[in-house]
Amino acid sequence: MTIVTGKAEARRRLQPGRSGVLRKIWEHRADYAYVLPAIAVMLIVIAYPIYYTIELSFFKTPPGLQLRDKIFIGFDNYTTILASRVFWKVTWNTLIWTLGSTFISFVLGFAAALALHRDFIGRGVLRAILIVPWVISAVAASYIWRWIYHSDFGIIGAVLVGLGLADRPPNFIDSVSTVLPSLIVVNIWREFPFAMIMMMAGLQTVPEQLLSAAKVDGASAWQRFWHVTFPHLRNVSTVTILLLAVANFNSFIIPWIMTGGGPSNASHIWITHIYELAFGRQLWGVASAYSVLLFLILMTLGYFYVRALSGNERKEGTA
Amino acid sequence: MSTIAETASRGQTRRRMRVDGWRWAGRIFLVFMLLYTALPMIWMLITSIKSGFAAMQFPPQWWPDQPTLASYQKLLDPQNSVGQDFLRFFWNSLFVSTVTTILSVIVAVPAAYAFSRFSFPGRNFLFFAVLLRNMFPAVIFLVPLFILMRVLGLVNTHGSLILTYLTFGLPLAIWLLKGFYDNIPVQLEQAARIDGATRFQAFILIVMPLSTPGIIATAIYSFIGAWNEYIYAYTFLSKNEQLTLPVGIQRFFSENTTDFPGLMAASFMMSVPVVVLFLVLQRYFVRALTEGAVKH
Repeated sequence: MTIVTGKAEARRRLQPGRSGVLRKIWEHRADYAYVLPAIAVMLIVIAYPIYYTIELSFFKTPPGLQLRDKIFIGFDNYTTILASRVFWKVTWNTLIWTLGSTFISFVLGFAAALALHRDFIGRGVLRAILIVPWVISAVAASYIWRWIYHSDFGIIGAVLVGLGLADRPPNFIDSVSTVLPSLIVVNIWREFPFAMIMMMAGLQTVPEQLLSAAKVDGASAWQRFWHVTFPHLRNVSTVTILLLAVANFNSFIIPWIMTGGGPSNASHIWITHIYELAFGRQLWGVASAYSVLLFLILMTLGYFYVRALSGNERKEGTA
Repeated sequence: MSTIAETASRGQTRRRMRVDGWRWAGRIFLVFMLLYTALPMIWMLITSIKSGFAAMQFPPQWWPDQPTLASYQKLLDPQNSVGQDFLRFFWNSLFVSTVTTILSVIVAVPAAYAFSRFSFPGRNFLFFAVLLRNMFPAVIFLVPLFILMRVLGLVNTHGSLILTYLTFGLPLAIWLLKGFYDNIPVQLEQAARIDGATRFQAFILIVMPLSTPGIIATAIYSFIGAWNEYIYAYTFLSKNEQLTLPVGIQRFFSENTTDFPGLMAASFMMSVPVVVLFLVLQRYFVRALTEGAVKH
């Protein structure tokens, strides 16, 4: 390999002139060898499934996976979905689930990061404990909370009865009105540590000098937070919120293990609903059409995600 | 808030009171968060040392009258059929997670290095394409991947899980590692090249040792992700002897719906390896997120 290390050399090679794109690609052929394994694996396991999902969404499929017998039906799967009442119910649930989980996780995580920013005895231990729910398996978390919410022997019900706040233990996850908020509490329990880590990392980049300068000028703690700290964290906050939103939009395990979407679809979100359509009721075509719709929504979110990330990069370039 | 303490300067009583207010709010909040985080886990531990009868009481026994390790003994006893299954699931999870971790480091290191150092055409496009993968839920890929795995003859093998986990762990792994490589000065490599090292030698001898914390962080992330993964394992595996822990525990619970002490003991033991791994290596992990996500 004759390429000399570094971007300087690459830049020299990329000087405008006779060489076209193909020539550039050829000159950099050795570089591609480094990314090839990653790209190859991603192509097999990601690009092919996406193509296949789009194709299936236009077909009526027989149950079982005998997909050779599928029949082309155009956009029928899509119209079926948009006309069904379950679709709107599930979409509403997904919206509450995603927005509720994301917003509260972010606020709690950010507040915890701020409170942990100042040094005190036991800070490391406390931080470690707060992160643990994020590390343990969502399946384990679901079972732990299912036991906590248990309608006969659950600890929360027992405490409420013990304090005289309820006559009998409430049904948290067997009742249509409380199931979704109860699951969101579990989801936040697992997710706020992620926001906390990200914001703790972000807080370290806020320049101390600016804060002291603001203090000298007589800014109150709140003013310093609002006018100095917070603007510095705008990028980290955007990335964190987007990552949380995507993760919540895509979450499956907690509703699936805790309630399976019930009672009467009250805790079905898009992903669990798609899973049930595909693997429960074997409606592969409808499930694929759902996936394509989901895909479009996620592409929109993805656009903002990439923009937030490249915003960071541009900043770094000018700094 | 680190400067709040300094703000409470001498003589300014009014300001001191307000500042202390913020600090107290922070403390109370942290206590609240600690309870929210820890109480469910403590209740899991207390339940796991109860007998099946003691767990099913109302009002509950806050501390069991007769603490017992019977649930743990049952799960860890190779003579018992429950224990046999549990140990096998545990071993399966360990195997799948370890192989996934090793492979993802091998694939992610060169890719991240190239994204950081070279400027080949399509670099940004490929990088964002890799990141975009994070946007898509597992369910979208389930049906086609299931069919793909059937074509490859991988259904009901651990190979199907390893291949899938590998791709789903790669985007973040590459992103984290790229952050590390961006922070290693190119001059170090150039110096080594002037001294006669080949590019490969410079990479192995200079860059790799400096990026060890990033590699450790990537490895933890892959391991925890593979250890906790549920949907693919649930869909791709049907033979009892192949199951990994999350699916195995679900199957166990669907057969013993009232054995909450056993379920809590199993949840606890499933969490131990990843929590220990994380606590031991957490500073690498937190640092990697800082470098990758924040400084970028």
